[in-house]
Amino acid sequence: MTKSRIKTWLLMLPGAGMLLSLVLLPLSLLLLFSLITGNQISINSDLSFSNYINIYERGLFGPLMIKSLLIAFFVTLSAIVIAYPVSYGIAKVVTPRWRNTLIILIIIPFFTSQLLLIYSIMVMLQSRGPVMSFLSIFGADPTRSALYSNFAVYLILLYQFLPYMVLTLYSSMSKIDDNIIAVARSMGAGRRRVFFDVILPLTSPGLLSGIILVFIPVAGSFVESNLAGGTNGMMIGSLIDSNFSVSLNLGRGCALCVLFLLVISAVTFVIQRSIRYFAGRRL
Amino acid sequence: MKQSPWLRLIMVLTYIFIFSPIIVVMVMSFNSSQYGTLPFEFSTRWYELLFSSRNLGRATWLSIWFSFLVTCTVSVVGLLTSLGLRRMKPKWAQSFIAWLNLGVVIPWLVLGVALLMIFNFVGLGRSYPGMFLGNCICVLPYVVLLVYPALMALDRNIEYAARTMGASNGRTLFTIVLPGILPALLASSLMAFMVCFNNFVIQYYLAPFGVRTLPMEIYNLVRVGYKPDINALATIMALLSIALVLVVNRLGRGKEGKFLEEL
Repeated sequence: MTKSRIKTWLLMLPGAGMLLSLVLLPLSLLLLFSLITGNQISINSDLSFSNYINIYERGLFGPLMIKSLLIAFFVTLSAIVIAYPVSYGIAKVVTPRWRNTLIILIIIPFFTSQLLLIYSIMVMLQSRGPVMSFLSIFGADPTRSALYSNFAVYLILLYQFLPYMVLTLYSSMSKIDDNIIAVARSMGAGRRRVFFDVILPLTSPGLLSGIILVFIPVAGSFVESNLAGGTNGMMIGSLIDSNFSVSLNLGRGCALCVLFLLVISAVTFVIQRSIRYFAGRRL
Repeated sequence: MKQSPWLRLIMVLTYIFIFSPIIVVMVMSFNSSQYGTLPFEFSTRWYELLFSSRNLGRATWLSIWFSFLVTCTVSVVGLLTSLGLRRMKPKWAQSFIAWLNLGVVIPWLVLGVALLMIFNFVGLGRSYPGMFLGNCICVLPYVVLLVYPALMALDRNIEYAARTMGASNGRTLFTIVLPGILPALLASSLMAFMVCFNNFVIQYYLAPFGVRTLPMEIYNLVRVGYKPDINALATIMALLSIALVLVVNRLGRGKEGKFLEEL
């Protein structure tokens, strides 16, 4: 018994060690580092809340955090609205042969570089690019570009994260017994009723993990807004990043990370709770 | 059930949304115009330009070697972890996996910054070992999420039979367990390779000063703006991704959906 215990522990050691030393420890030490002022990190530096006070006085955190949450909210909402019919179609409507092809197609963006996905949307939106040329038919000026705006950032993020939502919803959707839907319909439930009373509750696990996989990374993104956001495109991620790569104020950067993690966990918790409540009530 | 034309329309539009940018970039990569404007004129000059660029070549090799190293390490660690998880109570295994998923859920920006701070603290700073460890922890969840379910799906009676017949632990592992989960193992390695290869954010924070991996090189190119040789690069990389997805699909047979629902 004890020998087998030891063996289990030995097997777990590398993975658990990496988890402890490379995720849990660094994240908890962020809290400590956020109390250190300036750049120098050493054991005997003084701890104070000056970084937090500084962030409060600069007043950038609040607006940028709200903006990032709004963008993340709209991206997640759009992804849900698009992914529901698509994943339903893949799981329940098309033939198995098509299903496999469509799933492979939706997986391809996962394997493609994030930067190239961003770049290809930027090519689409640039001046004289395909989108602007198309819009010029309706009288828009083709030399203007849709790039360097919040809308471009929104579109890029939606483009990147839509496949996650489709896949998580699909995996829940494919587990729904076809008969349940058929019974609901034959009992006289309309499309709306079938969706809210059958499909939504049964896919809520997939919906929840989809929201986590989309909402949190989008709220914490900075590459997209740096590349395509233009001068007003800053998100909370860009602010955190600039403290590390431009102004080198490490302590303040850590404090921003701590605040970001606090806000994002609280918001995600509320969203999860309300979806559980909403889906559960209908069951 | 009766098919609604709206559903079909939404599906078609969604797939167009997902694939038109990639296809446009592919077409543009063969256009000789400097600014991606029409009329279309066929040329392969951007590919020639791409292959003559020494920076990109060096960055590509670095990324390939680096990702290969990370993949090998993480595959072994992930396999050991999954074997260990199988010996634990399912409840404990699930909660361990939930903790491991933090590496996927937490924005890589925050994780990268946290790792940079702790590496600075222990004196490692921006370095190859640091970048290596950072990429490992990002990739490990993917491997465990693919290998652990495959391991649980194996029929343990075959192992017990082998053990009763006198096979050693090692022999059972190599003749029964590993062949049984080989497809999942290969699929997870490819997945790990691609995730590591494309992981810009972690490399951006942890790469040694002056060293640029391919994603960092692309970032610098894209920041400048439209450059036709990126089109050529994007085309090659997209085709490689498609090829790899097909291979993984062959190996995994729909495991991807499974791995996502575990999250």
